[in-house]
Amino acid sequence: MDSNGRAHKILAVYFWLIVLFLLLPIFVVIPMSLTAGDLLRFPPEDWGLRWYREFFASHSWVQATWLSVKIAVIASLLATATGTLTVIALDRRDLPLRSALLHFVSSPLIIPHVFLAVGVFVLAVKLRLTNNEYIVAGAHAAVTLPFIVLIVGSALKGVDRNIERAARVLGAGPVRAFRTATLPSLIPSMLAGATLSFFISFDELIISQFLLSSQETLPMKIWADVRLELKPTVAAVSSLLIIVSAVAIIGAEVLRRRMGPPSSKSTV
Amino acid sequence: MDHTSKHSLNTTPVPVRRRVWPVGQILLLLPALLLLLLFFVLPNLDVVRVGLFDPDFTLEHVAKITSTRTYLSVFGNTIQISLVVAVLGALIGYPVAYFINSRPRAIQMKLLLLILVPLWMSVLIRSYSWMVLLGRDGVLNAALMWLSVTEAPVRLLYTSGAVYLAMLQILLPVQIIASYSAMTEIDMTLVRAAQTCGASAVQAMRRVFIPLSMEGTVTGVALVFMLSMGFFITPALVGSRKDLMLGNLVMQHVQQLNWGLAAAIALLMLLATLVVVVLIKAAGRYLTRWMV
Repeated sequence: MDSNGRAHKILAVYFWLIVLFLLLPIFVVIPMSLTAGDLLRFPPEDWGLRWYREFFASHSWVQATWLSVKIAVIASLLATATGTLTVIALDRRDLPLRSALLHFVSSPLIIPHVFLAVGVFVLAVKLRLTNNEYIVAGAHAAVTLPFIVLIVGSALKGVDRNIERAARVLGAGPVRAFRTATLPSLIPSMLAGATLSFFISFDELIISQFLLSSQETLPMKIWADVRLELKPTVAAVSSLLIIVSAVAIIGAEVLRRRMGPPSSKSTV
Repeated sequence: MDHTSKHSLNTTPVPVRRRVWPVGQILLLLPALLLLLLFFVLPNLDVVRVGLFDPDFTLEHVAKITSTRTYLSVFGNTIQISLVVAVLGALIGYPVAYFINSRPRAIQMKLLLLILVPLWMSVLIRSYSWMVLLGRDGVLNAALMWLSVTEAPVRLLYTSGAVYLAMLQILLPVQIIASYSAMTEIDMTLVRAAQTCGASAVQAMRRVFIPLSMEGTVTGVALVFMLSMGFFITPALVGSRKDLMLGNLVMQHVQQLNWGLAAAIALLMLLATLVVVVLIKAAGRYLTRWMV
């Protein structure tokens, strides 16, 4: 074997070791959640769905899950709608301040959430709006907006705009031309972006933690539970979340690659 | 619309309008700008206000932070952890990105999914799973004892090492994707040209390929550093008391209703982050120039 081939082999082994490291939590948490015993053991001594039943039978776990779903749905709808409109607006190359605006809408990406959370909290206290799930959803939407702009924006770049021009030449108004010629190619990436914002909001802890007092989201409940004791219920919740989010994210990614415009395929 | 104007020169009837204030675009932007104003700009300004005005301009909170040893050590600790995680992430992630980029296009996408799935797993759940992995009766201890490396369980959880390990696992995908997207942009004919001109594979790698992928990789380092600076879940779950980071400190003070202090810490944290990011970018440019 030549040295190039050997180097490639070593690199391949290295790659799979790192993938194993990255996926380790999945390989451990899911089997452990299937224990029938009282303690987390790997591998479990008795297998069973006991802790999954416990989760669905628990009022507080189910309620926390619903609150998280509600907040995440509102946040992802809000972010997807405003983000897509932003992308369309910024599509015009000669828009004044275009690149400044693009930087501005991307900036929530780089501000630590702790920083934002303190600010939203202090403002909400002043306006007597703490413990309001819509405020939490709004803050989550602001945090996920950059992802929508990134994903939908890269899809718009890959769309063949000649179709829209053709529609215009054939007499369609600008809105109708956009809606019938360009928008359909954006829908897969809008769905992918919405899925992503849903899970970012679903996972967000610190803004929710600061703003909510009498109700808790799923991450807040996990956070509170994990610090008390390592009960297998958390492993069951985690496994459910891992499976649901992996399926949704892979689904959205596949959809976007299959149906989206060609040039957006390399962006992640 | 404007991009039709070039073509309308021949086909005419559409009048060419340029540099008119784009009312339509502004209307489209309004919802996002409103959202960011309410939930991003105003809160951020409020952090500055609360941290620096009480009720008049005061550096009292900042002074308290800079004169308290424990706060300063948390600052140093946070910057150190974030820098180490960011640099290690680049060193470990770069070959991974290189491997993905070296595969045929169709396989690349599948390999990338393996990196993306852990990336979108909840940080809270990943930190929790490290608690389970590293605990006294955890998988790692069981493995170590089975391999007879140790006889009794070793303390792995609640150590600095646990914080580094868990944070690397959480943030490594970000770096891999940043390096990978830089590599996909590289014109490989340049590397082949270098080899045709007599460069060895190693030389072509060092003086052409790596410098060309450097900017994206350094952006990844900066991104991982920024994300680490705000961490609070992982250090609280897998670290010891002395591994607490600025995020934990902010959280503590908000819960004790010391908003001024919390805001001042958050403010200094943001400033420190920006300064270090500028330094990281400068170091990246220096390194690139040195390699070429």
